[in-house]
Amino acid sequence: MTDAHALAGRKPRSFAGRLRSRLARLLPYLYAAIGVVAVWWAVVLVFKPHMSLLPSPWLTAQTFVQLIANGELPRDAAYSVCRVLAAWVLSALIAVPLGFAMGRWQRLERVLDPVVELFRPISPLAWIPLAILWFGIDEGGKIFVIFIGTFFPILLNTIAGTKSIDPVLIRAGRILGCTDDASLFRKVVLPASLPQVIVGLRISFGTGWASIIAAELVAARSGLGYLISNGMEVLRSDFVLVGMVTIGALGVLFDGVFRWVDARYNWIGE
Amino acid sequence: MTASASTAKPLTVRGLAKQYVSADGRVVDALLPTDLDIAPGEFLVVVGPSGCGKSTLLNILAGLTTPSAGEARVGDVLVQGPDIDRGMVFQDYALFPWLDVLGNVEFGLERMGMPRRERRETAMRYLAMVGLADFADKRPRELSGGMKQRVAIARAYATDPSIIFMDEPFGALDALTRRHLQHELLDIWQRHRKTVVFITHSVVEAIYLADRIVLMTARPGRIKSVIPVKLAHPRDATSDDFRSIERQVYRDLDEELAKSFRMEGHAASAAPAAD
Repeated sequence: MTDAHALAGRKPRSFAGRLRSRLARLLPYLYAAIGVVAVWWAVVLVFKPHMSLLPSPWLTAQTFVQLIANGELPRDAAYSVCRVLAAWVLSALIAVPLGFAMGRWQRLERVLDPVVELFRPISPLAWIPLAILWFGIDEGGKIFVIFIGTFFPILLNTIAGTKSIDPVLIRAGRILGCTDDASLFRKVVLPASLPQVIVGLRISFGTGWASIIAAELVAARSGLGYLISNGMEVLRSDFVLVGMVTIGALGVLFDGVFRWVDARYNWIGE
Repeated sequence: MTASASTAKPLTVRGLAKQYVSADGRVVDALLPTDLDIAPGEFLVVVGPSGCGKSTLLNILAGLTTPSAGEARVGDVLVQGPDIDRGMVFQDYALFPWLDVLGNVEFGLERMGMPRRERRETAMRYLAMVGLADFADKRPRELSGGMKQRVAIARAYATDPSIIFMDEPFGALDALTRRHLQHELLDIWQRHRKTVVFITHSVVEAIYLADRIVLMTARPGRIKSVIPVKLAHPRDATSDDFRSIERQVYRDLDEELAKSFRMEGHAASAAPAAD
């Protein structure tokens, strides 16, 4: 890289410029939404399915507004989000420190890695029966299922992030006064592995979000999964569709939050 | 630039040796017992083929590796681990990519407990020393290799250590940048008079920089000869004096290279499938 190159290639700084680039990034989502609704509407117009099988986008939009107005949708969404958040935070509190320890101490990794590999392929959904037996159909069981779903992405990314630190940075840290493990961790290991840890946190929120719906489909009286399964039972496919759209929209929203955090704290580069 | 606060101290090496056990269980001598005296403010350059233990020696002196036998002292203090009084410049820069240039230079100062404002001023002074004051808020990835190494030099000098180790610092740079940084380093060294222990593969670089050249040999690593370079700076690589020292270094080096290649050849014919 030349010096001139180093000076070039900065992002636009003006507010209007940033707004425009942000809107440009949102455009593909808008196109996708318009496309899906167009196909949906075409199917309804051509095949004229019964309302309980596939309601029109317009009717679904009305139900959407109605469910927001009567507070049912915000309540269900809040339940789902809170469950995922609680389990995800719990996961992070355990998996991040454990991941650092396993990445740093080979002996610990050798002992625990087979255990991780054994449990990792088991889908969180497979844990639902045991979760209900152990923790009941209340919050405990659901949070446990999400915990399983969020744990491994955080753990594995933290281990990978810790192990991929360039050893010369550790040596530089020690030379420059980080002579004990605690300061070396705080000043070098933590910032060096942070981008990868954030990747793990982001992926795990996605997998957690996917598994909460499954957990709520099976046994719940609240949450977006419940809205969907209840919609099926009372033959209100508009409820089902509203639930699905909300899951998708919230998923995109949370991923956006993580992208923003990632852009702020990721030193790897644009 | 004002004179440094910490005065250079002599570095004394006595019987320093390093052995390690290789993967197949053999004991390998990385460094045979070595004695060496480095004077305060001296520019000592260690030259030798790959695997001659020069990096091992440097890492032990810096406190990053523990010796199997012997000891090293800076002044009266036994080297027992890394210390802020001994700085280091690495071949691949080793800048912290999550910090900007200023943050990198401030790193050691912060560890020393220097207050923020003083830290900033000190770091800026050393960045100015290497001509990069305007790049304080850049990230390392925005810099060229030569600029990165100048930041690393500023970072090593900023904590005002009494001795600085440099492990092939210009090895990854192109020839012109390398020449420029050699000039710059000599200039900084002459003004600060810190002890510098510098490793290189390049004989010309060694003669250009060194007060004394330590020539090391491989398998096992040991000091073969110590060659003083009593030429005034700036040195002219085309002068007769320079050339005669070059001939002397190459004579000693060629002897050893021939020996080590014979050993490799021997090992290869004994075990053709190995490696």
